[in-house]
Amino acid sequence: MTRAIQPPTPTAWLSTLLLSIGLVQASLAEDTSTDEPYSSQQLAVLAGNCASCHGTDGRLAGAVPAIAGRPASALESRLLSFKRDEIADTTIMDRIAKGYSDEELAALATHFASIDKQ
Amino acid sequence: MSQDNGRSGLTRRQLIQGMGAASTLPLLGGVAPFAIGNQSAGRVVVIGGGFGGATAAKYLKRANPAIDVTMVEPAEVFYTCPFSNLFLGGLRELNAIAHGYDELRGRYGVKVIHAMAEDVDPDGHRVSLSNSDTLDYDRLVLSPGIDIRWDALEGYDEAAAEKAPHSWKAGPQTELLKRQLEGMDDGGTFVMVAPENPFRCPPGPYERASMVAHYFTQHKPNAKVLILDAKDNFSKQGLFTAGWEQLYGDRIEWVGLSNDGRVTRVDANNLEVETEFGTRHQADVLNVIPPQKAGWIADRAGVTDDSGWVPVKAETFESQRVNDIHVVGDATVATPMPKSGFCANAQAKVVAAAIAATLEGSTAPDPYWANTCYSLIGPEYGISVAGVYRVQDGVIASVEGAGGLSPTDAPEATRALEAEYAVGWYNAICQDTWGTEA
Repeated sequence: MTRAIQPPTPTAWLSTLLLSIGLVQASLAEDTSTDEPYSSQQLAVLAGNCASCHGTDGRLAGAVPAIAGRPASALESRLLSFKRDEIADTTIMDRIAKGYSDEELAALATHFASIDKQ
Repeated sequence: MSQDNGRSGLTRRQLIQGMGAASTLPLLGGVAPFAIGNQSAGRVVVIGGGFGGATAAKYLKRANPAIDVTMVEPAEVFYTCPFSNLFLGGLRELNAIAHGYDELRGRYGVKVIHAMAEDVDPDGHRVSLSNSDTLDYDRLVLSPGIDIRWDALEGYDEAAAEKAPHSWKAGPQTELLKRQLEGMDDGGTFVMVAPENPFRCPPGPYERASMVAHYFTQHKPNAKVLILDAKDNFSKQGLFTAGWEQLYGDRIEWVGLSNDGRVTRVDANNLEVETEFGTRHQADVLNVIPPQKAGWIADRAGVTDDSGWVPVKAETFESQRVNDIHVVGDATVATPMPKSGFCANAQAKVVAAAIAATLEGSTAPDPYWANTCYSLIGPEYGISVAGVYRVQDGVIASVEGAGGLSPTDAPEATRALEAEYAVGWYNAICQDTWGTEA
């Protein structure tokens, strides 16, 4: 049976995150700065799904482009455009991007921008 | 096994490096009970070296290189089921779906043992191997794939599979089917028996029918494909049906459950099958995709239920029945996620993060999963289905508004792009799982 859920609203997400951060801060403080909503572990899980088509850390270039090391602003704007059906000839990323909140897409953009291309 | 290098400072720095993240904050010592002093960062045994197992091993090491990870897989070369249909269609060599374990060993420091895991003692946290070794674990990851239910379809046993191959585990069975197709007379009929749900790779039988039809257009222009199906609906049905008509005319015939498509008896010696209502079909090449269950080591570990599959806790894919055993991939009950290599890879990453966090004494990150299943109807005709998944109310759920099928009215250029992306996907997931460079 398929259950459908709504993507979390930014507010609900943030409060969940703030709560989570509070709970895990003691053990994660060294790699979670206070203005970053996602721990590095959480980002790794979020970004893990991208690797299945873009290669580990988003570095594989081929028919599917590499995403590592691109400017965060370009990645974020591209992801948001996919989500909003603003890019003609899209095959799959429109369907994928709709599964994430704008905040999650922004965090993914920042994450992949911070990874060296190779 | 080394258990003395898991000091907390080292562990954390390696963790941070592994994530590619930078930190300017000072380390706060003594907050993660499992990482203090001489404690090990933990021992994890992974059984199975497919999409789920190899990914779990790699991502455990990426999360924390100080975790002692041992992977058990009998085969030194792993052949993927994804793209094995392209081999049947003549689009790809068998060695182009073969993968090894050099990256896991050399780059990530996973201990890879080529043996069969024969038993699991959940109370003693110990795995016994066919080479008489035993492995102790703090956490066990099972990625056992599927086994054929040899008792489920009359006349279809292991001997029958040498004449009427299932080819649902890639390798020698795939080669056998390929040889049979090549040896078949033009004008012959390829009969495929397709199973009820659930089974490995829901669109797989229909992609296989497509690829065999493609091969026939090239080499046996008068040959036909007949699919006898135990169900009335199948994955991407509308897209497949439209693509078949466009590329292959009436070469492919599909008979569903309601039209007496369910095969109840197989006569492999005579390449004949009989359906529920007594219709007999003669094949020239017979491919029986039989009912399946979780790989048998799951039974030994006590994690399967009466269905033959493995129920898991949604957040962590830990067994619902046995503590400290996580199960990923086709063996699990993970609906609405399909039994796909993509999902096994995605589940393995969540499990790796959850285990790494648990061993460190921290909270597991929230799970996120996605899936994309590409199917090729022709060399330049690709279709896909996608999904994004989260946990809601304790169960896995599809994110509303995301995922879904390729559009039915897409132009040829889109089908061609999806065929290209299918190859891109395969190269990427094999790089991500085994480190294979295409």
